[in-house]
Amino acid sequence: MAQAALTAEKASQGNNVLDPVTIEIMWTRVVSIVDEAARVIARTAFSTLSNDANDFACVLTDVRGQSLAQNTSGIPSFIATLPATVRHMLAEFPIGEMQPGDVFITNDPWMGTGHLPDVCLVKPIFHKGGVVAFAATTSHVPDIGGVVRSIAPREIYEEGLRIPPTLFVRNGEGDPMLTKLIRANVRTPDQTLGDIWAQVAALEVMDNRMLTLVRDYDVDSLDGFADEIFTRSEKAMRDAIRRVPKGEFTYLMHTDGLEEHFELHVKLTIRDDEILVDYAGTSPQQPCAINCPLTYTYAMTAYAIRSALLPELPNNEGMFRPIKISVPEKSLLNPIFPVAVGARAATGHYVPALVFGALFQALPERVIAAPGSPQWCVTLTGHQHGERYACVLFFAGGLGARASLDGVSCLSWPSNISMIPVEVAERVAPVLFKHKRLLPGSGGKGRYRGGLGQEALIELYAEGGASVFFMTERTKIPAPGLAGGEPGALGELLINGQPVDSRAPHYVKQGTQLLIRTPGGGGYGEAQARSHEAIEKDRRAGYI
Amino acid sequence: MNAIADEAIYSFGIDIGGTFTDVILHRGSDGQSISTKVLTTHLDPREGAIIGVRQLLEQWPIPPRQVGRVVHATTLFTNALIERKGVPTALVTTAGFADSLEIGTERKFDLYDINIEKPAPLVPRELRFEVEERLNARGEVVTALSQETLAAVVARLVEQRIESVAVVFLHSYLNPVHERLAAEYIRKHAPGVHVTTSYDVAPEIREYERTSTTTACAFVKPLAEGYLRGLQNNLRELNIGAPMFLMLSNGGLTHLEEVLKNPIQMLESGPAAGALSSAFFGKLDGYPDLLGFDMGGTTAKLCLVEQGAPMLAYAFEAGRTKRFMEGSGLPIKISTVELIEIGAGGGSIARANSLGLLNVGPDSAGSEPGPVCYGRGGDQPTVTDANLQLGYLNPDFFAGGSMQIDAPLAGHAIGRLADQLGLSLVKAASGIHILVSEAMASAARVHIAEHGRDPRHYSLLLTGGGGPVHGYCVGRKLGVKRLICPPSPGVASAWGLLVAPVKIDRVRTLQTTVQDGDLQAVEQSFLELEQEARGVVQESAVQHQKTFVKRLAEGRYKGQGFSLIVPVPDAALGNEQGRQALIEAFENEYRRKFSRAPSNLKIELVAIRLSVHTEDLIEEGLQFPSRSGALAAVKQVRKAWFEETGGYVDTTVYNRDLLGSGDTFNGPALVEDAGSTLVVGPNATCSVTAHGSIIIELH
Repeated sequence: MAQAALTAEKASQGNNVLDPVTIEIMWTRVVSIVDEAARVIARTAFSTLSNDANDFACVLTDVRGQSLAQNTSGIPSFIATLPATVRHMLAEFPIGEMQPGDVFITNDPWMGTGHLPDVCLVKPIFHKGGVVAFAATTSHVPDIGGVVRSIAPREIYEEGLRIPPTLFVRNGEGDPMLTKLIRANVRTPDQTLGDIWAQVAALEVMDNRMLTLVRDYDVDSLDGFADEIFTRSEKAMRDAIRRVPKGEFTYLMHTDGLEEHFELHVKLTIRDDEILVDYAGTSPQQPCAINCPLTYTYAMTAYAIRSALLPELPNNEGMFRPIKISVPEKSLLNPIFPVAVGARAATGHYVPALVFGALFQALPERVIAAPGSPQWCVTLTGHQHGERYACVLFFAGGLGARASLDGVSCLSWPSNISMIPVEVAERVAPVLFKHKRLLPGSGGKGRYRGGLGQEALIELYAEGGASVFFMTERTKIPAPGLAGGEPGALGELLINGQPVDSRAPHYVKQGTQLLIRTPGGGGYGEAQARSHEAIEKDRRAGYI
Repeated sequence: MNAIADEAIYSFGIDIGGTFTDVILHRGSDGQSISTKVLTTHLDPREGAIIGVRQLLEQWPIPPRQVGRVVHATTLFTNALIERKGVPTALVTTAGFADSLEIGTERKFDLYDINIEKPAPLVPRELRFEVEERLNARGEVVTALSQETLAAVVARLVEQRIESVAVVFLHSYLNPVHERLAAEYIRKHAPGVHVTTSYDVAPEIREYERTSTTTACAFVKPLAEGYLRGLQNNLRELNIGAPMFLMLSNGGLTHLEEVLKNPIQMLESGPAAGALSSAFFGKLDGYPDLLGFDMGGTTAKLCLVEQGAPMLAYAFEAGRTKRFMEGSGLPIKISTVELIEIGAGGGSIARANSLGLLNVGPDSAGSEPGPVCYGRGGDQPTVTDANLQLGYLNPDFFAGGSMQIDAPLAGHAIGRLADQLGLSLVKAASGIHILVSEAMASAARVHIAEHGRDPRHYSLLLTGGGGPVHGYCVGRKLGVKRLICPPSPGVASAWGLLVAPVKIDRVRTLQTTVQDGDLQAVEQSFLELEQEARGVVQESAVQHQKTFVKRLAEGRYKGQGFSLIVPVPDAALGNEQGRQALIEAFENEYRRKFSRAPSNLKIELVAIRLSVHTEDLIEEGLQFPSRSGALAAVKQVRKAWFEETGGYVDTTVYNRDLLGSGDTFNGPALVEDAGSTLVVGPNATCSVTAHGSIIIELH
């Protein structure tokens, strides 16, 4: 008998219940399928965000658009967003009209991941004439048109090309009209389309591997398997929540804001086996791009709760069922169309620290004091020797201290973006780094010290000068500590020694020096309680 | 000269691993060999090695001068890095960048762990010093090397009694001038301090990875020098005057002096020997494309072999701190046999997780207390306990009969787990076996797919204690058609030491476009690297031995973050023909890996890599005698469980030592030798080759 793969016992015949071994084996396979697809994107993507920063995700869902697995390295921004995208597609395109080989596309912020550069693709997986699952991917493309990395836009129309849910590939061919339209609207047509096709390759990998799986296990539907995963994961999350002290816990965080500070409010209600996270009282949406759509707010909320309660379990639909959020419409954390949302992370990255602030009151050992994030980012563009250059530099602040550990210095959190090596940055842009080092004293004092931020001094030598755009936060309000820990140091941004408005674009001359000081993380516990050994060690290393 | 003598008759291979030291003695005239396994002596690993050598010299009393060479591999340096047990080491960097080593990539290797820590730098902040100097991204001097700041640093090195120092300056991969000057100055003014420059260790762009590699090298260098020279002296005391060669991570050999310049090249020497050995046994029987699967007590390793050579990677991580997670170790930029390591082995513990599902590993019962069946206090069932329960392992012939084990105890432990999960005993035991095999197959699938290959075109070659036990299940899952089990699979990896060619790798970072760049300059760089590498190879090689040069180009489509490495076509790069051939090489590799048409963007070269190597030193295997047929090797019949039969069936057990070449038999079957048991399910036919390997064809 010629049979390539294993002769598994029939996994899900009729109403047979799957056993704990078969479920685990199939689950291992499904997770390895999304991880394999992730490698395809990481290796072919043109965007440095995709390949250095893992700013992409791969997900498999069941036919109802419920997530079976997300790639292990997928960053928190994408928790639960792709399954929602699949459901939007299902609402737009009836499943009965889908054909094998179809790929659907959208980058609508409210249906996708919260901003336009993340292009999302969805592919139905057909088996025996019907859809058994969906493969979905999203990836931050190098350019989507509109204003470059700035919070200036007031409405989504200024931020680039918006692609509503659309059929992109049928019978193996990309839609020529849509392709033409995309090419005409972005600065890097080859790279942007290259990234979209890298995603198509990843979708095909998931399609092929899932078909092998359903054949190996001789199942016509994945519903039984999916329900087992969801039910068990949901139960695990509910069990974890049940162990948290009941009650209502509130926390307020002020953030830099614009002319005035913003207020982010949270009320965590833990009752029996559910968590309700309510953001009532949060500042209203703004006429600039720092609004954070609901999908991103949910992802960041779920990230914090999963990290605190169930860090080991692979992401799937079931584990997030007991986590409900409520966000007032037209607020910073639930803005409505057509406001601008391009820099959603500048607000959204505060959310996990906000949730931790409330959760601390119930589970002091399972949270992190506020970090020196949102992620800092400096974009330089201009011309040198007649060629256009664009360089995006990332700088992490310090992580907050933990209940029994100092914060980690210079660590991207909640996002997960690599720094661009100095040697690489100096190759792609006319800059020379004078230094890039830890910033002593920037970690918030406490029994456990906050992680240090960093200081970088960059000199620009482009003859024609450059346009510089910044994404900075915590330059006015520092990262607060927990349990009596002190806040981390403020971030600072100086051009030629002078503090500047980091929200505005700057046009600078040759020889200009940019000084970047990222914020430190908050401390944990009273500073007097810090051990002498720890202080001595800090002194020896020059951390304080 | 250190050259291997032509008249070399005997060769020694010494492989010091974490638990065991394997020593093998090979006779060139007839291909016979003997080997021994002794416990690694952690306090002074040379001791165990010498015990092994003595044992073999007693078994084969030969004049020591007839030993033509000794080849050595060791995990000693990896352990020194993991345990942070090196000498007091300092780092000297460009002013402003002493923290690069600590800042690292700024990324988390685990997204959800609130107690995450970065891997601790090998050099603490107070021992990282800065000097004034600077090159730009074109390798031009922007700020001259300041003698004063350097002098101040050297004073600190002396004051702090530093034994080893790493020197890493920005952009030195393009121009080593300042690193060389600084090294010279330090050697002169702080005599006795070992100096390591980044240009000599890893001349590649990206300061964090280069600093990490150079620092790791400096950290182990004095240790390596003392240890390796000491071992050579120990051998001399036994009147073995033959030169000692060292196995490198790239699967090649070189002489002692070359290794002492850059001992970090030896980090993966043991696994590299294992990979070479897999390649060797595959080639002997005409199977040059294979996946090596080595499974031990706590981990398993996979290695892809193509056309008889293990695939190489140009970076890896040493000492991953968290469950083999990418990013949790120290980045090391050297060429190394590409291995996928999976945190599961015979000692991995099975349990019910919080979801009520069966989980295996990643924690292991290790050798103490070990699996439940060892009867040393372990009470959580392991993979080995499950394999015993399934009838795969022989309770009366455990570790070749050298170990008393308690099978009922193991059965009870699995029974408790089965009750917890609501499963039958046999379902729990088979579940453990299958789940571990699935983890191996999943890792293999992702790895093979990353290279754009199809697992069905490969044979699976089984080594280690556990490879032959799980190979059948893993092979079925992968869809391979053939398994290969070499003779003595438990000690097969030491063979890699005997067959390894002399091989030297070099790399140079550059930046030019293939379509319109100056490829003449690239050609020139290749020639320079070749001359340098040839020089080192000739110091080690047998005279008149044929050498081969392999040129690789690393590049990417402009704007892409990830690069491809392709073999450079034979034509010289300087002319138009060479240029076209190189473009085609990139396009073909791109198509193969990503199964879509390459972009019409320009291709940017980022580095060139060159390797000079000799032929394999042994190309002939032992001719395995034919004996009196498989029937004569039948030891017993016992019940073993197979998925295809849906339960336990009578299974013939063969004594591997009594099987001869040409023997054939069908599955289900078990083949026992002192180091391992080969498990063959019902849908397979087996035959013993002329070289003693068992080929299992899966149907």
